[in-house]
Amino acid sequence: MSAGPGLESLVDQTISVITNDGRNIVGVLKGFDQATNIILDESHERVYSTKEGVQQLVLGLYIIRGDNISVVGELDEELDSSLDLSKLRAHPLKPVIH
Amino acid sequence: MSGRKETVLDLAKFVDKGVQVKLTGGRQVTGTLKGYDQLLNLVLDEAVEFIRDADDPLKTTDQTRRLGLIVCRGTAVMLVSPTDGTDEIANPFLQPEGA
Amino acid sequence: MLPLSLLKTAQGHPMLVELKNGETYNGHLVNCDTWMNIHLREVICTSKDGDRFWRMPECYIRGNTIKYLRVPDEVIDKVQEETKSRTDCKPPGVGRGRGRGGREDGPGGRPAKGIGRGIDEGGARGQGGSRGGRGGLGGNRGVGRGRG
Repeated sequence: MSAGPGLESLVDQTISVITNDGRNIVGVLKGFDQATNIILDESHERVYSTKEGVQQLVLGLYIIRGDNISVVGELDEELDSSLDLSKLRAHPLKPVIH
Repeated sequence: MSGRKETVLDLAKFVDKGVQVKLTGGRQVTGTLKGYDQLLNLVLDEAVEFIRDADDPLKTTDQTRRLGLIVCRGTAVMLVSPTDGTDEIANPFLQPEGA
Repeated sequence: MLPLSLLKTAQGHPMLVELKNGETYNGHLVNCDTWMNIHLREVICTSKDGDRFWRMPECYIRGNTIKYLRVPDEVIDKVQEETKSRTDCKPPGVGRGRGRGGREDGPGGRPAKGIGRGIDEGGARGQGGSRGGRGGLGGNRGVGRGRG
């Protein structure tokens, strides 16, 4: 319920999603439903590592089940494009433990 | 409306045939489908469960145990597929990579 | 656009489905329902670690075990046409708030809850990180990569 109106304002915007298994997926929100299932277009996964820069894997068009979503966030495209991902080091996220 | 589940898969065609069932939690069984209902409760005869790896319960081994006639609770059924035509194969995704 | 309309539109198309247990299934979508239960044909199942593979003629997957679905890019363009023609006859916003909220909260509150529940029920399975799985799958079309 609560997710309903919240995501409406993000449609057609680039968003960043953290899934329960600890992945970070960035893409354009094309739609969602009451269960927070979401459609991401032109999506890619950002794989974080402490040893090398951020890897981006192209995923394309994705439907992510709401069950599997931890966080949905707006992405500041300007700020994001100013990041040098190849220099960024970070620990990968651990999966959610139920 | 969303009322009754107009079934996506017609299980009728699997009756008296071998099916493989994966259950939530990782158990995996095969057997002959004797019956089912709209909630996906399944009756399997001569069911065989694949024993799982002690270290990684999500992995199955080739060891099996015979369960006989069982009912699989629909809510626990994750996946149903016919055993007929199901085979382990070599990595089919390598070919384009190698080419 | 609703995720389930996109899925419906993807019928007949190839897709990749990853389950919560990390297994992935590549196949053609035959049918799906409002619970996201899906029926695939000509399926290739890949184990969580991406090291074992099975071919199966078809399979039925319960919606609530799905983590995500990867559908071909072109499918999204096909939905838009359908959605447009539908919004023509029903202005947006009408569908949702329907229901006389007044007396019985039954019709208003229940269906929505029903859906959420049905989907989530039994979703308490624990599953370890499937990071490895993704490595193995890399990308649908480059699945073998993780191994090489």
